[in-house]
Amino acid sequence: MSEFTGLGADLGMSTGTIPAVASPQTPKLPPREWVRANLFSSPFNSVLTVVSSLIILAITRGLLSFIFNPQRQWDATATNLRLLMTQAYPEEQYLRIWVSVAVILTLTGLSLAVWRAGSAVSIANVGRRLLSFGCTLALFALLAPFSARATIIWLLIAVAVAGGGGTLRRLADSERTISTLALVLIGLSGLVGSLWVVPYGNHTFELHRTPRVIAEPGTVALSTKFPWTIMLLIAVAAYFLGTYLRDRGSLNATRTTLALLWLLMPPVLLYLVLRDPDFDMGHVFGTDIPIFLACAVLGGALLNWLARPSTGEIGRIVAALVLIAAFATFLTPMRMIVRLDLLMLAAFALAAPTFSGGPRARRNYVIGWLGLLGVMSWLVTAVNTPSTIEVPGQFFLGGLSLTLMVAIFTIVISFPLGLALALARTSNMPIFRLLATWFIEFVRGVPMITILIFFSIMVPLFLPPGMHLSEVAAVIIGYSLFSAAYLAENVRGGLQSVTRGQHEAAEAVGMTTSQKTMFIVLPQALRVSIPPLVGHCIGVFKETSLLAIIGLFDVLYIARNVMPNQTEFMGSTKENILFVSLIYWLFCYQMSKASQRLEQRTGLGER
Amino acid sequence: MTDAATEPTAEPMSEPAAGQTRDLSNARDMIVCEDVSKWYGDFQALDGISTTIKEQEVVVVLGPSGSGKSTWIRCINRLEVHQEGRIVVDDVELTNDLRNIEQIRSEVGMVFQQFNLFPHLKVIDNVSLAPIWVRKKPRVEAEEQAMALLERVGIPEQAHKYPGQLSGGQQQRVAIARALAMEPRIMLFDEVTSALDPEMVKEVLDIMKTLALSGMTMMVVTHEMGFAKEVADRIIFMEEGQIVEQGTPQHFFENPTEDRTKLFLSQIL
Ligand SMILES: Nc1ncnc2c1ncn2[C@@H]1O[C@H](COP(=O)(O)OP(=O)(O)OP(=O)(O)O)[C@@H](O)[C@H]1O
Ligand SMILES: [Mg+2]
Repeated sequence: MSEFTGLGADLGMSTGTIPAVASPQTPKLPPREWVRANLFSSPFNSVLTVVSSLIILAITRGLLSFIFNPQRQWDATATNLRLLMTQAYPEEQYLRIWVSVAVILTLTGLSLAVWRAGSAVSIANVGRRLLSFGCTLALFALLAPFSARATIIWLLIAVAVAGGGGTLRRLADSERTISTLALVLIGLSGLVGSLWVVPYGNHTFELHRTPRVIAEPGTVALSTKFPWTIMLLIAVAAYFLGTYLRDRGSLNATRTTLALLWLLMPPVLLYLVLRDPDFDMGHVFGTDIPIFLACAVLGGALLNWLARPSTGEIGRIVAALVLIAAFATFLTPMRMIVRLDLLMLAAFALAAPTFSGGPRARRNYVIGWLGLLGVMSWLVTAVNTPSTIEVPGQFFLGGLSLTLMVAIFTIVISFPLGLALALARTSNMPIFRLLATWFIEFVRGVPMITILIFFSIMVPLFLPPGMHLSEVAAVIIGYSLFSAAYLAENVRGGLQSVTRGQHEAAEAVGMTTSQKTMFIVLPQALRVSIPPLVGHCIGVFKETSLLAIIGLFDVLYIARNVMPNQTEFMGSTKENILFVSLIYWLFCYQMSKASQRLEQRTGLGER
Repeated sequence: MTDAATEPTAEPMSEPAAGQTRDLSNARDMIVCEDVSKWYGDFQALDGISTTIKEQEVVVVLGPSGSGKSTWIRCINRLEVHQEGRIVVDDVELTNDLRNIEQIRSEVGMVFQQFNLFPHLKVIDNVSLAPIWVRKKPRVEAEEQAMALLERVGIPEQAHKYPGQLSGGQQQRVAIARALAMEPRIMLFDEVTSALDPEMVKEVLDIMKTLALSGMTMMVVTHEMGFAKEVADRIIFMEEGQIVEQGTPQHFFENPTEDRTKLFLSQIL
């Protein structure tokens, strides 16, 4: 029966603020009465409760006996963990993977502190959850097809957990709280600590011996306990550095810097760290840097002039000329980077009147230009530099890291693209509206797979001679276009929810259309679109599994096609799929939780 | 309703209210309307409106529902586009030229019936946003000015709340501060007290009164007859998109000439 109180506590926890609000009016019922009021209030409800409990028990039992069946080859996942995570990334270069993880964790730790993530939960509540968890565990131990000995061990563990929770609940007074971050830290420390005791993924399959799974010292798998401990320490240190920065420096500047770092992180990690690019320094100093410097100086001067409020109408004409010049570069052969630089300069020039102002505003604008130009120049150089990581197959990453990489790049690229499409579709410029509508309707009318195949096979054929686009890059572009079309429709819903009064109020104070869009319309529209946007991100993440169709080794493909074909793990598909779904679920669930938090946060103070 | 309408007239009469005695005939023309007409499809909302509003003049526009008051006042900062006639605001004619429109909008403040505050911005940012981005003021200066304005409308302590956390009257005062932050030469008010509870009407009307006394050119659509009597230099009565009658408050309330005006007054007083 305590099962159900546990369930109730769970619900109360996950909705966050509700219990705190509701508690003054509705005193908490004791378990017995709660059960009577909620589960057995009428004969019909009692029948429903009994039947659905039986169904849940049956399903749980089925799942447990599947998982703990001695026939299951969980060795397959344990041995192939590395394959699932990074596929064939060379072992001697593995440090690069750890550096990347460390960078991500550092940024996470900093952000958690700077954005004041986490909230306080009362210790009694934690005890209550532990108690219900222990009871669930006991139930599972009884349901699972364990030997008598295993059952007893599991039951003892369950009782220990439940007992600990119970005493915690009784002893801690309701005032005492603990931060959720501390709880997460305790949990993670437990996990990392257990690495030193339990050899989870600690298997290597050695063919030349008797075909058996063994733990082999010196392999990556065996050495993960050390790196992970360091990673945990790095994350904690980053968190404390974050609290320091938060309390000392200017909060807004720190947040902006962090957001920029997050944006920069994926390409830097991919191109500079993981790919180990082989830069041709002569070319870099002879061509790339001079082009960058020329664009930076000339473009900076031009923008500084354009952003002067006194420049007026001539500025718009000049900006239009830059745009025409940028398009004209596509007619003659020349370096792609020059074309891209000019296109970006045109965009900045067109937007200059919006950001025009005093010296400070102009300086910020020029800095923005320099920053973006620098990032783009570097990216183009990096993309065109061959990688030194030698792996069999098409791409040096595979498995979960490929999945994550494609998902992150797709989301990051398609977001601005989708915004632009949504704005174009709702603008009152007929050409924009028409183009955007056609694009969106076309993309939504074709299956995703056709777009993937088109981009992976056809696009390289259409590229101008001398330009090379790796298959993964082509696929990411295809994905991004596809995703942008859907994203645009989500954002459009948000845009339409902004009332006419808001538009009129912004116009009445003299804002230009772009100012109105940026400061009034988009913030409100995006806030409304958070749920569908996060839903979309989850979709993008899961749809990366289609990569398998064009022959890339994403995590699902490895689980479904690679591992079951290893002679030693023939037919381990079921286990692998279950494990991979767990991975997918973990990520998607976190995204969905993040969406809830974001909603609560941005909803704060808005009625 | 009558309570709230008559109350403001009751006390501050001591100071000679805005301008019944003012002579504005030598003042500059701020708003000139010549034969302005507007249609919504087949429906004619404005039908040959012609009038001139002088600098510092306070004009109250009255009329039954659907008579075109809002349409007219919104034409003056081009939230609506008129189809015939000319509107000249502060010597700039309203045409389709975007720059004219932006210039006029930054000189004409408008306050709406539904407040239309920006819900995602704090009160102070609501007020300082336009000065920063449209007037290109440095942020610090704009925020100081915003605080001064919030003080002027009596709610400096609400500066760091969100609009949704304020009462209707407070929100409307923020809206007035937001319009004033652009340092406009003309203020348009479209039924700004109609969405307020009676006890909040007075706080908003009082601010409008002080604004009128400070010499702002104002065009006010309202149903508050007390305010009209006390503050207006001129009352314009509209019906079916036309100006039926205009004149000083004494003339208008005590001996109107037109039958329709008399009918309107008999219905509301
Ligand atoms: N967008 C529109 N489309 C069609 N007709 C409109 C539109 N806006 C206003 N009208 C019509 O124009 C007429 C004048 O409207 P307006 O809003 O100016 O009236 P009003 O005098 O402000 O009335 P109220 O006192 O009720 O606010 C009304 O008959 C209304 O139905
Ligand atoms: Mg109206």
